[in-house]
Amino acid sequence: MDVTRRDFVKASAIAAAMAAAGGSLAACASKSDAGQQGAGDTQTHTAVCRFCGCGCGVLVETKDGKVTAVTGDPDNQSNRGLNCVKGYYLGKILYGKDRLTTPLIRDDAGTKGTESGLREASWEEALELVSTKLRETWKKDKSRLAFWGSGQQPITEGYLTAKFWKAGLLSNNIDPNARMCMASAVVGFMNVFQTDEPAGCYEDFDNADVFITWGANMAEAHPMLYSRLTAHKLQNESVRHIDITTMKTRTSASADKVLLFRPGTDLAIANCVANYLIQNKKYDADFVRDHLQFKMGTENIGNAYEDGYDKSDLGKSVDKTTACTFEEYAARLADYTLEYTSELSGVSVEDLTDLCEVFADPDLRVMSLWTMGVNQHNRGTWMNHNLHNIHLLSGKYGKPGSTAFSLTGQPSACGTAREVGTFCHRLPADLVVANEAHRRYTEAVWNLPEGYLDEIKTPGYHTIKLFREMSKGNIDFLWSAHNNWAQSLPNLTRFLGEDGEHTGIFDTFIAVNEVYPTLTTQYADVVFPVAMWVEREGQFGNAERRTSVFEKAVEPVGDAKWDVWVLLEVARRVLEGETIDGEDAFTRLFGFIWDAEKDDFNGDSREVNRAIWEEYRTFSNPDLNERAAAINAEKKLKMEAKQLAPYDEYLAHHGLTWPVREVDGQWLPTKWRFSDGKQADGYDEVGIEMYGDKGLAGGMSWYKSADHKPSVVFRPYEPPAQEPSAEFPFWFCTGRLLEHWHTGTMTRRVEELDRALPEALLSMNADDAAALGVNDGDMVQLTSPHGTMQIKVSLAGRVEPPSGMVFAPFFAAETLINRVVQDYYCPLSKETDYKKTCVSIKKA
Amino acid sequence: METTTFGAIAAAGVAAGGIAVCFAGNGEGLLRPPGAADEADFRARCIKCGRCLEACPYQAIRMAKGPTGAETGTPVIDARAQACRLCADFPCIAACPTEALHPVSARDEVRMGCAVINRDLCIAVQGMRCEVCYRACPFIDSAIAIGASVREGDAIHAVFEPLIDPEKCVGCGLCVQRCVVSDPQVAIEIVRDYGEARRRIDEEQAKHVSNPWAG
Repeated sequence: MDVTRRDFVKASAIAAAMAAAGGSLAACASKSDAGQQGAGDTQTHTAVCRFCGCGCGVLVETKDGKVTAVTGDPDNQSNRGLNCVKGYYLGKILYGKDRLTTPLIRDDAGTKGTESGLREASWEEALELVSTKLRETWKKDKSRLAFWGSGQQPITEGYLTAKFWKAGLLSNNIDPNARMCMASAVVGFMNVFQTDEPAGCYEDFDNADVFITWGANMAEAHPMLYSRLTAHKLQNESVRHIDITTMKTRTSASADKVLLFRPGTDLAIANCVANYLIQNKKYDADFVRDHLQFKMGTENIGNAYEDGYDKSDLGKSVDKTTACTFEEYAARLADYTLEYTSELSGVSVEDLTDLCEVFADPDLRVMSLWTMGVNQHNRGTWMNHNLHNIHLLSGKYGKPGSTAFSLTGQPSACGTAREVGTFCHRLPADLVVANEAHRRYTEAVWNLPEGYLDEIKTPGYHTIKLFREMSKGNIDFLWSAHNNWAQSLPNLTRFLGEDGEHTGIFDTFIAVNEVYPTLTTQYADVVFPVAMWVEREGQFGNAERRTSVFEKAVEPVGDAKWDVWVLLEVARRVLEGETIDGEDAFTRLFGFIWDAEKDDFNGDSREVNRAIWEEYRTFSNPDLNERAAAINAEKKLKMEAKQLAPYDEYLAHHGLTWPVREVDGQWLPTKWRFSDGKQADGYDEVGIEMYGDKGLAGGMSWYKSADHKPSVVFRPYEPPAQEPSAEFPFWFCTGRLLEHWHTGTMTRRVEELDRALPEALLSMNADDAAALGVNDGDMVQLTSPHGTMQIKVSLAGRVEPPSGMVFAPFFAAETLINRVVQDYYCPLSKETDYKKTCVSIKKA
Repeated sequence: METTTFGAIAAAGVAAGGIAVCFAGNGEGLLRPPGAADEADFRARCIKCGRCLEACPYQAIRMAKGPTGAETGTPVIDARAQACRLCADFPCIAACPTEALHPVSARDEVRMGCAVINRDLCIAVQGMRCEVCYRACPFIDSAIAIGASVREGDAIHAVFEPLIDPEKCVGCGLCVQRCVVSDPQVAIEIVRDYGEARRRIDEEQAKHVSNPWAG
């Protein structure tokens, strides 16, 4: 029994002892191999951590149908048995006390936004209700339905969902939370190289001379990779790490040099480097000659303050580029002198020069690393361009250790959202709906009549558009899975209808696949309890293009079901009576894994996954499909650029980085794309032989790029969407911290992790706190033009913002920082800027 | 094993030899509120009035329990349940009528004790990216810093080991409250006597902790 001060004052003596905190759950992570010495029914399965984009391998031990231990996988070449504290307690996420095990239905929409109102229901009732609502909406007005997915959705699940939405419903209203995470990186890669995802790999960490983190707190957000970066530094005294950031983080604390810049001016810093290289003739002239083409893009593109921005003349023009000469490009850069950039950014001329010299030194291998600071940026795509620009101009691309490496946030943002293409404008394997040849190719793989997908040639609603429309009452049906949008979206004051004006959320029929009650389930009309992590087999694709399988280790808890089963049960009902080419539509699309008579899968979890994978893999192996192969050849799609291996190869190898090439009967991964060398050593030998050119500068050949030449596009500095004012004088930056994953719905249910970081705190500069009369631990009211919320201040220094800036993590539902965050996005990628909302702060 | 220290800290020295000592809890092991001097001084002054408990906004200060004994009823802090949050104005000290809690001029002047990490239990020492105590520490990079070394048997990963600086650690116990390890016991504790703490830190550093995952 706890003793409070009141007890003390009132009572004389209390003898009860307080039990120490602790007690272990069944899923306690074990650090020994004792589990393997137990009873004969202990089994070990290989899996991948389901949190961040690092993609650490783990081993899952089970006994009597429960996960008993999760340990790092020593055979996994990405992490060699290492985990962060989240991964260490991974097994416990399965067994939180309030796991959802029964379908739930809300009868009274008036209870939305509260913790009550959901009742238990049968699967049949829940499936019928959702299917009926979806079919009704679909038949009435297809523009009023949507699916919101995730970079945490396994590959085969994302693939089937996209197939149902795009081919089954002929709707492009499907987008993932990866839109809010990686979209700026995607558009950057596509614009520059015409193919998505980094060309490098984790082995680049072992070969770099200089690491540059651009607005990335890797020490906390990518724990395992930061361990790798640090190990390389420890073993090589000359290796340096420069942290370019708007606030001091744990990453800055261990960097050799910190460049603190004014928010948004990273665009200018990168251009300053480019200008320095050209002015001082220290760019790689051979590289420029052999590889690069130069362009100008639309400028003065404003911001998406209004819902109609995308359709405005300006909004429609943002993707346009025109070719220019190297000299014209250089002329536009000339403004970005060291002095001008220093004045704009706040970084000293000396520090800028040091940075420029890193790129100017032909002997240094430089690895740029970035993630949300660059991507969640009102000019996120531009900043991605500018990073590629300086690596291309300096020739620091392709050699191990020299690369521009975009870190990914989620375990399968690459594998599922990006490679499968669960976006409103995409199709699988880098194909897009707007391109006729891409639609023809997709029709071939999906066995659809030619022209069938022409109905979806116009992209649907991207994430913010979708939720803005929903808030205005223009969405009748929303289905979401593997995300918690009612906590993670920006501008929740609007999207949750708290402004009294945008109350569409209360009228939209919302179905949610979930494993725990969340803020999102509080708005759901139906909650489907689904299998979590290793309760089914799945696949993730991590930041280095490594596809890995996590095996099914246990059955789903209670009456929870695999997402694919739920999807197909809904698809079967919605598509009833529909035909494609005279054949039953459901059978045409999903008959290869579904037994209509049994009304269930035609195989076990492994067999179904394998079958889906083999169809999906056809996108990158056109030879598996005659019709697809013909289109690939005729339209020069080069679909093999992302070649994937047969399913069982991934099981045998603990993951493989694509493109995976068949050489002498063996499937070999590619570590360095577009870089010539032996396939067996991880270079892109097969790809270059097939489509590329040999003997070019740096041994590179960007065979997927137009004319085999990546595009260097001039992207100027333009200011953030909001800037501090007398009314809202502080920048508010948001993000993730090591102990919790995203909205905390899993990690906060692990006692140890909740103990480790129990509340979201506002990190503030000590001078600002003093000026406001605020002490460590005081509650403050944070207000933006969008909303207001209360949060406790920390001056402890874990994150140390400069004066004029504050930071808070988004894991705490009770704090709900996204009530105040702006929903303005990069006009090209439509990814929101979570880093630069302007706020006022006063003591609460 | 080569160790590099991030930030400016006085790295703990490595003592030769040393035998692990079982440290039994007794009156001298109790964590007292900020401002308390040694146990003899504290006991001589504390009148068990409870005002420091009332003053604590975090309810970190509790009454020592026990069937008998002089320590029953004296104020203690169970850091695992609620650590001292080092209020800037020290309301507990201000409330003490007998100077059992002596005035303290600043937060970093507090000397409640010193944290000692049990390296056999600490998962960061084994290579996991934990360091929860380090990030929770109100004197981050000072009282607790990170010593990085290459992981044994794994050249591509580093160990991020939290290292305590007895010169800077004030013994607030927030690291103890936040530590993720509880079985068989918490991997970090506050030792009130700084000399004893130094001795134990040296002893811990002299230990070789193997990494069970190293291939």
